[in-house]
Amino acid sequence: MLVAGRIFALGMLIALWIFIVGGMELAKKKLPQFRKIAGLDALPEMVGRAAEMNRPVHFTTGLGELTGTVAPQLVAGLAVLGHVSELAAKYGVKIVYSVYQAQVMPLATEIMREAYIRAGKADAFNAEDQIRYLSGEQFAYAAAVQGFAERERPAANIMIGPFYAESQLFAETFFRVGAIQLAGTARGYQIPFFAVVCDYLLIAEEIYAAGAYLSKDALQCGSIQGQDLGKIVAWILMFVGVLATAAGTPIIINLLKA
Amino acid sequence: MSKQGKGLWRRLEEVPREILYLLIFLAIIVPTISPIGLAVPIGDEARAWYSTIDKLAAGSTVFVDFGYSGGGEPELGPMAVATYHHMLQKKLKVIAMSTSIEGPLLFDKAMAELGPEKYGSKYGVDYIHIGYIAGTETAMAAVGKDLRATTSTDYKQVSLDQYPIMQGIKDASSFQLLICFTTGGDQSEGWVRQWVTPYKTPYIANVLALMIPTMLPYRKAGQLLSLTAGAQAGEVELLVKVPGRGIKSADVISMTHLLMVAFVILGNIAYYGRKASGG
Amino acid sequence: MSLLVRRQLPILIVFVAALLVMIDYFVKIPGTGPAVTDLQNWGIILTAFALGFGAVNLFYLHTRHISRRTPGQWPFSIWLLVMIAVFAIVGVALKPTSKEYSWMYNASYFALSATVYASTGFFIASGVYRSLKVRNLEAAVLLLAGGATLLRNAPVLAANVPLLISLDSWLSAVPTTSAQRGIMIGASLGAIALGVRTMIGRETGFLGRLTEAERGK
Repeated sequence: MLVAGRIFALGMLIALWIFIVGGMELAKKKLPQFRKIAGLDALPEMVGRAAEMNRPVHFTTGLGELTGTVAPQLVAGLAVLGHVSELAAKYGVKIVYSVYQAQVMPLATEIMREAYIRAGKADAFNAEDQIRYLSGEQFAYAAAVQGFAERERPAANIMIGPFYAESQLFAETFFRVGAIQLAGTARGYQIPFFAVVCDYLLIAEEIYAAGAYLSKDALQCGSIQGQDLGKIVAWILMFVGVLATAAGTPIIINLLKA
Repeated sequence: MSKQGKGLWRRLEEVPREILYLLIFLAIIVPTISPIGLAVPIGDEARAWYSTIDKLAAGSTVFVDFGYSGGGEPELGPMAVATYHHMLQKKLKVIAMSTSIEGPLLFDKAMAELGPEKYGSKYGVDYIHIGYIAGTETAMAAVGKDLRATTSTDYKQVSLDQYPIMQGIKDASSFQLLICFTTGGDQSEGWVRQWVTPYKTPYIANVLALMIPTMLPYRKAGQLLSLTAGAQAGEVELLVKVPGRGIKSADVISMTHLLMVAFVILGNIAYYGRKASGG
Repeated sequence: MSLLVRRQLPILIVFVAALLVMIDYFVKIPGTGPAVTDLQNWGIILTAFALGFGAVNLFYLHTRHISRRTPGQWPFSIWLLVMIAVFAIVGVALKPTSKEYSWMYNASYFALSATVYASTGFFIASGVYRSLKVRNLEAAVLLLAGGATLLRNAPVLAANVPLLISLDSWLSAVPTTSAQRGIMIGASLGAIALGVRTMIGRETGFLGRLTEAERGK
């Protein structure tokens, strides 16, 4: 009944379910601790800089779609958007979120509005001006964001989510207008471009941890804890597999192919 | 060192980007207008690409994803054309689809450049395009499971039943090779998950050069039989013996890469010169 | 709208659909195959519908700019709507596979798209000049690896200096592949975690705007 060659994968999937759900339940009792992530700790400094320079903060979640395979990265970016919006509201700084997919707009509106309410500045929020749907086409979106950078010269640029070829365009353009930049993506193709240009960088799963790190929400923290358990299992399998293969036994390889 | 010396290093370190852009522009334009004919070595991956297709018997069926956008056409288009030259020379049956919305238009562009009639190939008999199918991985999974349930017409909205090439084509098991030309990692990785893993379809991918490092794990694990960058089109054109845009770009690629290396060296000289002069 | 319809029903639909697709992948159960095929085809239709939805949104957004005469924006909004209309009319009347439509695409969108994409090359040049400096050990490693790859990818150098090919092969096969595998595993676990949270109703972003009661607070 079970499809041959997928039994181990099924077992791992069930194990991951248990780790993640278990992690979320455990986190309700005791929040897991995170290591320091420099980019996220720098967020107040970045927004503070924008306040001093009286220039806006720009936020983008890249080419994220709620229905695609990169949805987890978009969700991670939106989690950070909430936190940055609250900071911006507290410091009296305008934050502008450039939207790629129209379906994200209602979600972003709710996230930012709630952030302003938490900061006690509900009246300061203007969805029409601060959430800008630019285009659903990659390079039209890229050109529009570059235009925003050149015209409004934000003091800080935060890019967290799935980015494609436009990453380099954004990073260089915002550098040119003097913005301090934090970037994060789990799309390995674009990490090098951000690494070379941006001031702070979140690599791969650090963006998933970002929401949990900033919000200290038990569910998110527990989910990260579960993921880390999954990574430990992967590491053990790799280590034992290397030893077994070096010893001439294909036991781990056969297990993975089961 | 004198103040003038310090200023010189700083000026060198802060060369206006317009000058850098002008140099890059010249490195592109000059070899394009006046080709130099620099050497082009044929790498292992280009050879693997060629031999994977070459091993197929005449009449084998290949599935192609035209998954790139207009922005990536200058890089991937020449490779697609060179590959089609090879496949039609070998009398393979080629069924294409697109996971990119611009794919059908770019397919037309590639066919116009290729000229399939020179091989006696006919649309609907030797090659076809079944259109853009939305959904990326959902589309790949659906087509792999049951192609006819996913789409019943080609990109011209003509019923697939009208075309001899579609006889007997049901799902992923109907194909001896899968080729993907894409600018999006979602496509190149998606085919591994949706076709290679469940159906073990042999798979080769042509992607942007910047995507190569991220796709390498699949190549090293054997899930990809060949992984080439669009810039390697010239190498495949040499193997297929049909020179085209790929070979013409080789000089440009050489010159711009050498210029980039020169920029790196110059930037470091300026940096250390400024530091040494106390700047 | 009641809590059941706004929150619990969508979560149930997500749970059942996702479970069905997963079961079909791992377990042979007669009957699930056609159901999953239908689900996948519905997914394709919904994605295609979302494209149309995007176009509607564009119309709405840009007609607002035109009616409000947004400074610096409204003439471009008019132009955008004109181009959408022209492409739509030609596409419907003459089909997207017609010569006329192809010409329009090649002359406008394709040229612009390729140009913007090509501009990344120039941006990379200025980034490379400014950033690839040996400031510390990590920067030196970045420079050496990047420099080796740059040199290898210049065909004329690779043809004359075979050592570059060996060096680049080692860099690709060992450190790059290892690092990418790690990133991939992490990213995949993140995607699985989001899937789990979505299926059990702990991640409700896809439900759009909810009241506090609907969010379960």
